[in-house]
Amino acid sequence: MNGEGIATEGRSPAFVVSARKRTLQKITKSAGESVLFLVAAFVAIIVLFIFYFVARDAIPFFQIRGFSEFFTDTRWYPADDPPVFGALAIIYGSLMVTVGSALIAIPMGISAAICLSDVLPFSVRQYVKPVIEMLAAIPSVAFGFFALVILAPLLQNYGGPLLMWAWWLIASPLLLLVSVVLSELITSRISDEKGRKRAQKATLALFSAVAVMFLFLVGRQLQSIEILTGTNALNVSIILGFMALPTIVSVAEDALQAVGRDMREGSYALGATRAETIVKIILPAASSGILAGVILGIMRALGETMVVWMASGNSSHIPDPWFNYLDSIRTLTATIAGDMGEADQVTGSARFHVLFAMGLLLLVISFVSNFISERIVVRQRKVLSGQ
Amino acid sequence: MNLGTRKLLDRSFTALGFGSIVVMGLMLLVVLVPIVTNGIGALVFRGTVEHRRMLYNEFHRGDLAELRSEIARSESCRREIYGMLDAFEAELAGMDEQRQAEYREKYAQVQASLRALLGPLPHDEAPALARLRYGQTRWDKAEEKLRDLQLEKKWDYSNPDEMAKDYFVSRAAGFEGTSLVRLFPYVEKNIDRLLQPRWTFYWGFITDSSVDAHFFGGIWPEIQGTLFLALGAMLFAFPLGVVAAIYFTEYARESFLNSLLRSANSTLAGVPSIVFGLFGLTFFINTLKVSESKSVLAGSLTLAIMILPTIIRSAEEAILAVPKTYKEASLGLGSTKWNTIVTVILPAALPGILTGGVISLGRAAGETAPIIFTAAVSVGSAIGLADVFSSPTPALSWNIYNLASEHEAAAEIRHVQYGMVLSLMTIVMLLNMSAIVLRARISKKLKG
Repeated sequence: MNGEGIATEGRSPAFVVSARKRTLQKITKSAGESVLFLVAAFVAIIVLFIFYFVARDAIPFFQIRGFSEFFTDTRWYPADDPPVFGALAIIYGSLMVTVGSALIAIPMGISAAICLSDVLPFSVRQYVKPVIEMLAAIPSVAFGFFALVILAPLLQNYGGPLLMWAWWLIASPLLLLVSVVLSELITSRISDEKGRKRAQKATLALFSAVAVMFLFLVGRQLQSIEILTGTNALNVSIILGFMALPTIVSVAEDALQAVGRDMREGSYALGATRAETIVKIILPAASSGILAGVILGIMRALGETMVVWMASGNSSHIPDPWFNYLDSIRTLTATIAGDMGEADQVTGSARFHVLFAMGLLLLVISFVSNFISERIVVRQRKVLSGQ
Repeated sequence: MNLGTRKLLDRSFTALGFGSIVVMGLMLLVVLVPIVTNGIGALVFRGTVEHRRMLYNEFHRGDLAELRSEIARSESCRREIYGMLDAFEAELAGMDEQRQAEYREKYAQVQASLRALLGPLPHDEAPALARLRYGQTRWDKAEEKLRDLQLEKKWDYSNPDEMAKDYFVSRAAGFEGTSLVRLFPYVEKNIDRLLQPRWTFYWGFITDSSVDAHFFGGIWPEIQGTLFLALGAMLFAFPLGVVAAIYFTEYARESFLNSLLRSANSTLAGVPSIVFGLFGLTFFINTLKVSESKSVLAGSLTLAIMILPTIIRSAEEAILAVPKTYKEASLGLGSTKWNTIVTVILPAALPGILTGGVISLGRAAGETAPIIFTAAVSVGSAIGLADVFSSPTPALSWNIYNLASEHEAAAEIRHVQYGMVLSLMTIVMLLNMSAIVLRARISKKLKG
């Protein structure tokens, strides 16, 4: 406290600050706050700088070669004479692995988040969360190394049988469940108790038989597949899916927790099972937060460099057929990382600038997704507080 | 739907949740276990006399007298082998043209195999590359090379519908009727004496520099490079991040500008890592010219802006977690706002801020894409502290990629790659685990 001194007899009252000192205080206070503001604004300045400088080096490419070749041509021959800079196949490759990783990460991530928030007791949660955090902490180059050195030979040598086992593991419980529910629904009209039970057993047996036959047929087809190369889109999609999982799980779990206890308790009071509560009430309520988390996780998969550079095969072409994940592809990130070594020598050329063009494309996509994800969260906050 | 089905659906829903978590745990195991076991194999392995010879010649380590006696023990066997080779060459010279040509190629392959196993043969010129000066230093690779010597790999292209299948032929069968045929069983029987394998703990893997592009030696330059880059990044990002977090939590009012700043923070967090690398190249190196070309400084700056959002976010959370009563009590006693922050809030939030900082440190150590264009080189010795402003450095993350994908003999140095991955993951995991422990202690303290 800046008192001028304890009051003594005949002196001015205690704890009075002179006018000069007060203005000094005011100046230091506003100067300090401006410094703090500048430091915080530094972050925004960096974002603007990143956009400006990447765009500055990307625009010359479009000035030299135009837009149509980059976005519509599938031939990528930057070193040829004359060079062709068709990035369509590369963009397709990025999209392919992003979709693949989404297919793996979204169902697993949301179910894991649900399990964490609603099913597991608190003590078990304390042990599970570190597992997820460790998965998130593994550096991407370690995942890339795993994909190249362990997963790729596995896929190449045992691809068919592996696919068959994965198919059996995933599809059999699902199909069994579907048969049970179907037989249940179909026989629900029969009013006679005993007859209904018999009909149910019969339809269940029928559906299960059909399901098992289906499993076998598809399984045999899968077993005979020969994977020509282990470094392909499937390999990368699996690894990217596991890399995006922790993000999705943590954000989705936060969103699920944010839906208060009242909704859950009300639903249970009305007699719903836990699954019904979650699926019909909690998930819709938390949907915006979960969606935001999904967008963040997918963005992580799209922007990942090392895993795709090491394990995607780096072959710039659209697979034939378009859904063939067992073929090698090339992504935007791997092209930027891989081609810069040769391109850097010729700084003024289209070869150098096209890589920045790809970087700009990635940057714009990430800005837009971030913006969308934020709007979703803000909108949900408004909706929840308005209710 | 009747109750039974609803219950079944409920139970399978729960099973789905459990299954996802189990799959994640399994994936963690599947990734970690091979890396840990093979990575430890880079440090603890059965080393041969060639390894000890290499250690003495390149690093001047080891007992010379003991080494000499080991070499003498293997020398007697080697002389037999060299004698067999000489005898065969004399036999070759005596054959007619056609038979000579037949055997020459096969003989060259046998010689190459022996060189890979035992080192240069007596009549060879002194090799320039260190990797050719020694035989196999590791027993596991020596067993592989022994199999190469005994069996030749051939490809069967007969079925046009399928990929070519490989099959093995005994090399000894190809030398039937000549004197060389006894070489193969001799080598196989005496391989222990020739190479004298012994369990070795090669701690130099962590402290030595590499010899001849990681064929021998250790990974210290890479470890040091990673530490320099990560600590440098924290040096720039930590103060900035904490100050920015203080602004956001204590001083920022609800205004459009401040919400813009907040979304800038999350936007920065979403930028792909390779774009950071591009930005580092074009801004720090080409525009600001913080260094002539790649350098640790440029790399640290790039990593710093990459981890800045995470530090800000975790520092914000830590500051917000401090109970309001602390702040109110301090202000109630007459302290100024800034004084309160520095003496009361920050110390209380410090463990949380440190946790976030430690996790970001781990992230900076593991990232590769930002340093590809700004700081990393593939080979080099450990740089001195004074050179961080001007020279690039090898780094664990970049060199793992380089050794696994671009090295000319990637399959030969798998153990080095695993060792590098293990070192990187040990650094990151140690940091993360200390963060988890810190966080557990904080939550225990807050619970009271």
